[in-house]
Amino acid sequence: MNSAQSWIVVADDTAASGLVDLARSVGDEVVAVVAGRREVASSLASAVDRVLWLGEPDQAPVEAYGPAVAAVVAQATPRTVIGATSPGGRALLGAVAAALRVPVLAGVSALEADGDQVVVTRSVLGGIAEHRTAVQGGTTVVAVDPGGAVAGDGDLAPLEELAVTPLAATVTEVRPAAVAGADLGGARTVVGVGRGLKAREDVALVSDLAAALGGELACSRPLAEGVDWLPKERYIGISGQHIAPDLYLALGISGQLQHMVGVRGAKVIVAVNSDKNAPVFSQCDFGVVGDMYEVVPALTAALGTGS
Amino acid sequence: MKIVVAYKWAPNPQDAVVATTGEVDLSRAKPAVSEYDPVAFELARRLADATGGEVVGLTVGGPSIDTPLSRKAALSRGLDRLVVVADAELEDADGTRIATVLAAAVRAIGDVDLVLAGDSSIDVAQGQVPLTLAGVLGWLGLAAVSAVTAADGGLVVERSLPGGTTVVAVPTPAVLAATADAVVPRVAGMKDILGAAKKPVEVLDLAALDVPAPGATLATLATAKPAGGERTATIFDGSSPAGAAAQLVGALRQAGAL
Repeated sequence: MNSAQSWIVVADDTAASGLVDLARSVGDEVVAVVAGRREVASSLASAVDRVLWLGEPDQAPVEAYGPAVAAVVAQATPRTVIGATSPGGRALLGAVAAALRVPVLAGVSALEADGDQVVVTRSVLGGIAEHRTAVQGGTTVVAVDPGGAVAGDGDLAPLEELAVTPLAATVTEVRPAAVAGADLGGARTVVGVGRGLKAREDVALVSDLAAALGGELACSRPLAEGVDWLPKERYIGISGQHIAPDLYLALGISGQLQHMVGVRGAKVIVAVNSDKNAPVFSQCDFGVVGDMYEVVPALTAALGTGS
Repeated sequence: MKIVVAYKWAPNPQDAVVATTGEVDLSRAKPAVSEYDPVAFELARRLADATGGEVVGLTVGGPSIDTPLSRKAALSRGLDRLVVVADAELEDADGTRIATVLAAAVRAIGDVDLVLAGDSSIDVAQGQVPLTLAGVLGWLGLAAVSAVTAADGGLVVERSLPGGTTVVAVPTPAVLAATADAVVPRVAGMKDILGAAKKPVEVLDLAALDVPAPGATLATLATAKPAGGERTATIFDGSSPAGAAAQLVGALRQAGAL
């Protein structure tokens, strides 16, 4: 195994700073293998030590490069391989993991190298627990959030173009998304409602508050999947959305770990609940112990009058 | 068209109890066909009916995945037959190990045109196993599939990607992982549940599948309950709603959150 090297596999996306930063944390030499357009490969040239480019994909989907990426990586057997959690990123990592017969670990927050072994700190089971896991006897393969655009100030690494043949598949059409749905991930303020809500028509009570705050409406799992009062893409929790807004309001939400892992990154958390012993009150910054049917309209009114 | 649906019989971590040490107790979480897998069953059934094909369910894991209840739960969702690999050695196996065994089972089933899977499992929730399976088989693997139809010599696949809807012409064989809302799966009726008991189930022996040994092992060094969950709250008394609201708005303004 080549202990000095960390490889990143890049699936046609210039947002790869998360991959580069993590690779640098455990490798003296960072090698990028890029399945995608030349501009993606070029964007990495100042941030990594070597760039291996598999050529213009033309109409081939990035996933068609899985076997080619796997062959290149397997030949080098680096200590660490890092890719993105995007569909294309996971496909490339899947091919690499299959070739090396090693697991793909996700939810990774840190890597520590120790000889041939790498210790991975990661969240498991959708974030309800954290593990420190040692990968022993083989390459450590991890999937992480791709981060933002790569900012490099190093010397420009030359593009090393490799001639490979992708699997047969052709992208025949791309229809840009018309209007995006709920953008919970990008919202500064999110108002979440849970089982404290008694009827579907009462959703208006909460959406009025969300409107007064200029925020997005969200919910805990039972409202999206148990009773279907709000669409699934607005559900926050371990198998739903994970968000980090400036302000999150948990209304009628008891504060089960399974919901709260989805909002842990929020700067300020407010809870409104009638049960003063609800676990949410030990996980928030401000709390109101009271009936949400009285407190929520009062809040909407207080915001509206600017008092 | 011969379609395999690779699915998982898994507990829902929603019902897990997490100790302060980070140890997860899943004993109260009842296992079921994983949340998003019925979407794959439905896509497979529709495609098989349109092309005059067969739908084979496939699941691998520890011994607990093969019970009369788990068989019925899968077979009542539009499958023609079921193939199971249940072995103590696969209890808590990592995703690549599972994908490697799935691949061996797909080869044993033979002449498979398409493997369909759900978006991600309810417990591990990485969306990785179908794509690793594609890697082991050397086939094209695509996730985020919102629709699939048969075309001359292959498939027309629609994908829901951040840049928009992408249409891909895909030759078979291939592995596709559906989005969670690609289709609305049918609800199994009494007739489906009764009919499930008559459908064939084949149990494959792990040892006979000749699965290559893993290239690395995982050792858990420590577990922890995620940090950052605890916050110290300023609590307002909501018995006077207007008063509490005014206090809260004031506090949020002061904290710069409004």
